Amino acid sequence: MDQKQIRFVCHECDALQMVPAVEPGHDANCIRCKSRLFRNPRGGIDKPLAFLIASMFMFVIANVMPIMTLTIVGVKLRTTITGAAYIFYQQGSPELAAIVWLPSVFIPGVIILSLFYVLFSIRFQMNWRYTKPILVLTGRLLPWGMMDVFMLGILVSIVKLVGLADVVIGTGFYAFAFLVVLYASTIASLETHTLWECLTEQQGSPMEPTNG
Amino acid sequence: MASNVVSAMSRGIAGCHTCGLAVQMPDNTEVECPRCGAELHYRKHDSINRAWAFLIAAFIMYIPANTEPMMRTTSLGNTSADTIMGGVIYFLSHGDWPLALVIFAASVMLPLLKMIAIAYILILTQRASSERRIERTNLYKIAEILGKWSMLDIFVVGLMAGLVQLGALTTIAPGPACIAFAGVVILTMFAEMAFDPKLIWDKME
Repeated sequence: MDQKQIRFVCHECDALQMVPAVEPGHDANCIRCKSRLFRNPRGGIDKPLAFLIASMFMFVIANVMPIMTLTIVGVKLRTTITGAAYIFYQQGSPELAAIVWLPSVFIPGVIILSLFYVLFSIRFQMNWRYTKPILVLTGRLLPWGMMDVFMLGILVSIVKLVGLADVVIGTGFYAFAFLVVLYASTIASLETHTLWECLTEQQGSPMEPTNG
Repeated sequence: MASNVVSAMSRGIAGCHTCGLAVQMPDNTEVECPRCGAELHYRKHDSINRAWAFLIAAFIMYIPANTEPMMRTTSLGNTSADTIMGGVIYFLSHGDWPLALVIFAASVMLPLLKMIAIAYILILTQRASSERRIERTNLYKIAEILGKWSMLDIFVVGLMAGLVQLGALTTIAPGPACIAFAGVVILTMFAEMAFDPKLIWDKME
């Protein structure tokens, strides 16, 4: 085993340090503030890619199938998440419709597609042209994807709606619940540091001079 | 051991905020990261002022977010308006205390605690305090992770309004607090993103 060390700057405290290679399943932590510098997740890129492909299928089902069916005095209502947001939009609050729809449907959708592009390109050494800018974009979007919060929102709504209507949970609900788990697993098994290292190796980007 | 640690800035090295690469900085300041193309800088630009601006705006929005109604329910001609606390009290009075607790924690406590946490971090950083640096760094990271959960009530209103609207007998409409609440969440996220946690550790050497 070669003890290859890399020079690393802590994101949180700016401590400059040499970090030895980390074994799979372990973390490298900052010598000063103890924050995690990066991980070396078991399963490399295959694992997040597998979770991601499953997420893509589940994303489609979760957004096409109705999340629940309400019966209010004999009237049956069923909608998807986007359908609910669209009604919100028609009601005259487009900005609120956007606040609901963007973090629950659109941004997660973009993140999933972008990650697929990046992971597929790196895993199969496709050297796709936009891999780097898309990876940068994904990093910027990540904090704005809020499917997990939305999942809790669906649960709270169900409890609140039970008092008003007959609620029957739909396929979309189960698919969304699975999607949240699959998406969280994708993110948990992914390490951006590893992706950037792989990209550097494959594309041979100009590195800065290492003296210093 | 920790006293021997040097900051990357003191050695003329910047860690890229986007991809994490450690880059030896040339003398002229405006450079792009050779790996990801993002702009490189030692510290986020005007970090403390920008964080305060977002934070103060969030504090102001927090008031209407709690006093104005979140949701208007019209059923058979009767309209009732619910504030966040109104919803919490409703669930409490129906014995549904776990749900009341979830809503109270996510909508009332969490945004307030996050704003106080950021203000505390900002004040100590401005004073160049050397106290509890690790704890402040951890506090910042916790605030970063938990902030988004405050969106809960907005999602609930959005879903309910969207789902129930089609039924003519009962309608649910969003109240003015919705937009204020979303403002609180988004502005605190901006404040947290504007702040550079590296500033906590500066002025040490």
